[in-house]
This record gives sequence, structure tokens and C-alpha cells, in this order.
Amino acid sequence: MTSVTNCPVNRTVTDLRNIISSGSLSHPKTRRIAEEILELIEDVAWGRAGSEHLNAVKSLTLEMMTQSDDKAGFESGKKLLSDLEEHFEVFASHVKTHNCSTGDCVKLAPAPCQTACPAGIDVPTYLTLIGMGMDAEAINIIRQDNPFPWVCGLVCTRPCEFMCVRARMDKAVSIKFLKAFAAERAMSEQSYQNPEKEPDKNKKVCVIGAGPGGMSAAYYLALKGYQVRVIEALPVAGGMLMVGIPRYRLPREVIDREAAMIQELGVEFRFNTRFGSDVTLESLKAEGFEAFFFAIGAHKSLKLNIPGENDFPQVIDAIDILRQVALGDRRMPGKRVIIIGGGNVAIDAARTCLRLGCPNVTIAYRRTRSEMPADIEEVEQAEEEGIHISFLTVPVEIVGEKGKVTALKCLRAEMKETEGSRRKSPVPVPGSDYFMPTDAVISAIGQQVDAEGMLSLSDLKWTRRHTIDVNMTTMETSCPGIFAAGDAVTGPATVIEAIGGGKKAAESIDRYLSGIPQPKMPRVPVRQSRADFLQVPAATKMVLKRPEMPLLNIDRRRTLFQQVELGYSENAVREEARRCLRCDICGRCGKCVKICRDKMSIDALKLGYLNFDHPVATDFRSTEERCIACGACAANCPNHAMQIQDVKGERVLSLCGTVLNRQKLLYCEQCGATLGPARYLDYVRKRTDKAVSPSIGIHAFCGACAKKKAAISHSEVMG
Amino acid sequence: MTFRKGQKIEIFRRSEDEIWEDYMDEYIGLHGIIVDPDMAINDPDALVEVSLEGKGTHRLPQDCLRALEDED
Repeated sequence: MTSVTNCPVNRTVTDLRNIISSGSLSHPKTRRIAEEILELIEDVAWGRAGSEHLNAVKSLTLEMMTQSDDKAGFESGKKLLSDLEEHFEVFASHVKTHNCSTGDCVKLAPAPCQTACPAGIDVPTYLTLIGMGMDAEAINIIRQDNPFPWVCGLVCTRPCEFMCVRARMDKAVSIKFLKAFAAERAMSEQSYQNPEKEPDKNKKVCVIGAGPGGMSAAYYLALKGYQVRVIEALPVAGGMLMVGIPRYRLPREVIDREAAMIQELGVEFRFNTRFGSDVTLESLKAEGFEAFFFAIGAHKSLKLNIPGENDFPQVIDAIDILRQVALGDRRMPGKRVIIIGGGNVAIDAARTCLRLGCPNVTIAYRRTRSEMPADIEEVEQAEEEGIHISFLTVPVEIVGEKGKVTALKCLRAEMKETEGSRRKSPVPVPGSDYFMPTDAVISAIGQQVDAEGMLSLSDLKWTRRHTIDVNMTTMETSCPGIFAAGDAVTGPATVIEAIGGGKKAAESIDRYLSGIPQPKMPRVPVRQSRADFLQVPAATKMVLKRPEMPLLNIDRRRTLFQQVELGYSENAVREEARRCLRCDICGRCGKCVKICRDKMSIDALKLGYLNFDHPVATDFRSTEERCIACGACAANCPNHAMQIQDVKGERVLSLCGTVLNRQKLLYCEQCGATLGPARYLDYVRKRTDKAVSPSIGIHAFCGACAKKKAAISHSEVMG
Repeated sequence: MTFRKGQKIEIFRRSEDEIWEDYMDEYIGLHGIIVDPDMAINDPDALVEVSLEGKGTHRLPQDCLRALEDED
């Protein structure tokens, strides 16, 4: 029988099992060696192999081949050696990263939340650690992939929560806020520590831009032993985190504290230093820098391209006002302000204006609420604070007199299907024009890369979207030794994408400077651990609800730049962590459901969340209504997610720690052997036609004792 | 913006865009969720962030995506 798996490790396990079970290995010593090899390869497939495993496999295989009287052993060994040689990188990657990119080694397949994270953070592991109260350990796990757990705990767009399997049941686990809690607690307790650096490599790397991408690359490069200098045009670290995100969402101290952790590793920051004018590529090369990472962001606003835009000083770019306020300017742009746009920057600009004292703040957005790209929580909070959103509003002209803006001329729009597209677009209604009186207009329709400082890099290729053209697998640009990531590559995107890009670039820079070939495929996220399950009763698992985030009172929100989201209580955090379904262990293959329903004809598992496209109802509590605790589901679970154990007189069935069923065990009255729960015994009895009864009358006996009893009784009757 | 945040999509074909790389061919047929739509200029040419089931999060051109809800 040949295996159909794509993973050479998994294939080797299957092939070896087949060879051993087929009996083709004639020599006992060859069989023993083959079993030892299988055990070692299973360790690799399980992610529990050490650095010596592959060498041990190789020497055992060579030993197996020396058994001259066993031809099958020789042939099997030859094939194994050839597979090892051909796919050595894959075997080594399993050992090193505890990851199987094909997902065939199911024990190493990352959870959907982890694969969704652009930085590849091992979410289930750190959630479990948080659930155990091990906040510092959770932060250590996060920082293996993301050096900004606190920042991301407050402002991440959380792709992980969109893919969270729990959302198929009720609501996604509140991953983001749990991360923020753990980071804050660890920082407060001084247990937020940097890992050990590798020995100094005596090589210098220059990072241009102290935003999340640049600082992430600096962090991972410093850990690898490189001397890193970060140059930054602004007077502070943080990039868009600092000057693009308002303080009521992300306090400055959070950025400062996490940036300080990077500085602590020896990374040198040079502020107020602009690439292209204060320093050049040549001057940096002359200082000994061998590789460069550009993470310059996208700080230049897009133009509205409507009449009047360039005629009045009260027409401002959102990104400019956010920057000025972040750097200390508190002047109100006007009493009546209109912000044009529907993204998070528009919402940020509007809420900032409110806090500057503007009494009348309106957002003009050309589509409807459901199309608004801003985070729904941000939109809701903005409206609570008193910001008005004018939907289906298309600005067509900024009007004013004597050098001052007086109104924004708009058209009403309708959502209509346009030709060739089934999707609706806003179409202006002819003759619907009207004026919205205002003192200032803020444009928040997007940003692009400011390429001015980069013009000296004549060989640097740009995309038609005016972003730096890179190989997305390695972040290499068209210039050797120059790498780029973040908004400068993707266009305005998310913090976590910039962090993921920075980490990826650091790995590629390390390879570049070490002379190692670059990968051809994107890296897959790395499982950092296999944390123990949190034991949760089924009823608790079902009724635990995602907690609401407590907010600052509305008066302060309308007047101060104080943080709006106040954070969960410790109890809420620990309880929320228990809602995680541990998809790092349960691969949602559905074998348990099928076995229970189709083979055992019991149908006790109501796990509708297993299906991505068409999830149906899930109820862990209903399992105990029908489950006989036979253990067929657990026996067929490829990843030990479903477990059945006898504990303190009960047979307990659990799925990733969620206790689905507990049934009292019965024991043989004669010898004390475990018989199983009554329901299971009934099931067996019905299907065995009482041929072997495990009980006699009201007494419970195991098969052997029942036979003995029956024999004694028979002889007494006959005698 | 033509796709909404949280919308379920399918990668139904190879993109014509320059950003498409050969290894992305294996994504064709996969389903996912729009995580970060075009935030700015409602540009059908803009890249959108998509989380694909089992294959991570990527910024992809819109011409290779179709909304699954549209078929319902």
C-alpha cells in the first residue's frame, strides 16, 4: 500500500508502518531497528524530536542495511536514506519549527487563528497560558513572533478573531484584549523580559523607519546578534503608531515602553534623521552597514481632486492633523468640521477633533454604514461621542470666501449595481446637490508612500501602485542588500502586517548576510508549544460569554485624550481564555462525529462548528444525553484532541479539555476489573445477543468471572 | 471598497495583477474572510487583506476574489 500524503515525513511514517506490519522484514534485528526508526520519525512528525534525531535515524538505517540476509531490510533502508537526503530540509524544518506546512502531520498543523495572523503568533498557546495565569510566559510566546504584544493588544485589526472557530458557535474569543491584559500585567510586574541575544555577528544593518515594521526587524536582527541602527525622520519612535493613532486608543507610554525593550537589546535609534537628506545609502555604506531595511510607511495623503481643495488653509489632511496633535499641538481646526472618508483614519480624525473642542463634527461618507471599512467598534464609539456620520454623501466642491472655508458642496448618492458588476456602487443623484456649512474640511481618503527621499536609489523598482516592489516571500527589493516591508510595500495596511513583514525581512537579511539561499515559498507559522488543556465543563464552555469592554465615561471621552477602553478585569480575562476551542490540537477533521454517528450509530457529538463554510449548531452539553462513553471517538482522533480517561470512579470524555461526558464506572464484583459505565454495558449487551453477559442478575461481573460463575452454577445444577 | 470586512470569499481564479506570484496558484479554490478591505479610495484596483482557511493572511488583488454571499 502506498501513501497519498504530500509530506515526506508523514509518508515515511506510513510507509515504515506498512513495511513493519506486512512482515516482509525477515530478520528480527532488522524489524527491531525498523521499529526504532519508526519511533524516531514519529517524534519528528509529532514535533518532539531533538537535534540528534535525524542523525540517529541515518545511523540506524545504515545499520539496518548491513543485515545482509534481509533483502527487504536493505531495500527499505535504501529508500529511507534516499527520502531523507531528498527531503532533508523538510525533515529538519519539522524538528526545528514544530510545523508541517502541508498539515499532513496533524499534530503540527497551526490553528486558524495562528495562520490568519500576518505575524504567525501561536495564539492558542498564549491564550491557554493566560488562562493559567502565566502572563509573562504568554508574552514570551507572543514575542517570538511579534515584539509589540501590548501595542497590538490595543490596536490590532485582529485577523485572528475573524478566523476564530469559536465565532462559528457564538462570538470569537477576545484574543486582542487578552493579549493587552497579559502585556500590561507582565510589564507592571517587571516580568516582561527580552530573550537572550545570540553572540555578536559583527555585522551592521541599518533600518530606515522606526514604525512597527522597522522596529520589529530591528528587534529580530538584534536578537540574532547584528548591530542595528534605526534612523527616523520624526523626533520619536513609533511611526504611524505614534503619529497616526490617537492617544485615546494607544497611549504613548505603551509605545515608549515596548520601544525601550528593543533599545535595551542594543538597537541604536537616531531621530530627526531623514534618509535622502541627512544620510544617504553611500554614507551609510561608508559607515560599514551591509544590509538595509526600508520601512518608511505611507505618510503622504491622497488628494480629493475636487475644486477648492488647494484654495483654503482650512482644508487639511487627516494624517497631518493626527501627526500635529500627537506631537503636542492642541489647536482646534474649527467649530464645525467635516471629515471626508470612511476608514479608521477618518474616525480617528473626527474623534480627535471632538477632543480638541470642536462642537460640531461630521463624517461625510459616500456609501452606507454596512460598507464602511472602519472598525465597527470605532464607528459605534464615535457616534456615542456625538459625531454625526452623513452616509451616501459625495463631496464635489469646497467653497469659501475671503480665504476661509464656508461649506462643502455635496451630492446625495444611491447604491446601484453598475454595468458589468453585481456589486453596488454609489452613484450620485443628479440635481441633489446641497451645501454642508463648515469651518474646516479634513481629507481622510487614504495615504501613499512618500518616495521623495528614495529618489537616489535609481535601481529600486516600484509597483504601479507607487509602492516598493519586493519579493513577498523574502521582502527583497530589486537592489541587492536592500529589503523593504510595511506600508511602503503594501500601501496603507495594518500594524500587524507591518510587524509580520519586519520579522520576515529580518529572517531574509540574516540569510543574505550569512550566505544562505532564500526560501521560494512563504514561511508557515511556527507552533511554539503544545500547552496543556484547560479543563472546562461542557456547560461552562457553552455559557461563557465574550465580555464587554468597559469604556471611559462619555464626558471624559468627549474632552480628554485618556484611553477609552479600560481593559478587562483579571477574572474576565481568565474566564475568556477558557472559551478557546484549542484548534491547535483539534484539527476539525470530523472523524469523531462520523465514527459516533455512522459506525457506532449513537450520534452523540453535536459539533456543527467543524465546518468552515456551513457551520450548524454546536452544543457540547448534548453529548452526555446520548454518549455511552465507548471511546471510539477518542480512539480514532488523530491528534489526541478527544480523550477518554478513567478518573476517580468515572469515565470522562473530553475534547481539548472540554468535559463532554462523565459516567460512573462499574467494577466486577468478583475481581474488581473495570467493566465500563452502565450505558456502555447495555450497548454491548444488546449487540452481543447476551452471548457473553457481563452481569448475572443484579450483579456485575467481568466476562471471565461471569463465565466462571455460570460454570459453577451449571455444575451445581447438573451435579 | 467593493468587499466588506468579515465577508466570506473564494479565490476563484488566478489574478491578472503583477503582484500575483506562482506559488499563489495553490490558493485558487480556497475560501476565506476579508479582514481588511480597501480602507481608502474605494478602488477596485486596491489590494485587500484576506485570511484564507489554513493558508494564512495575504494582501491580494480583488480580481481573483468573489464574495460567497453573492451566490446565495
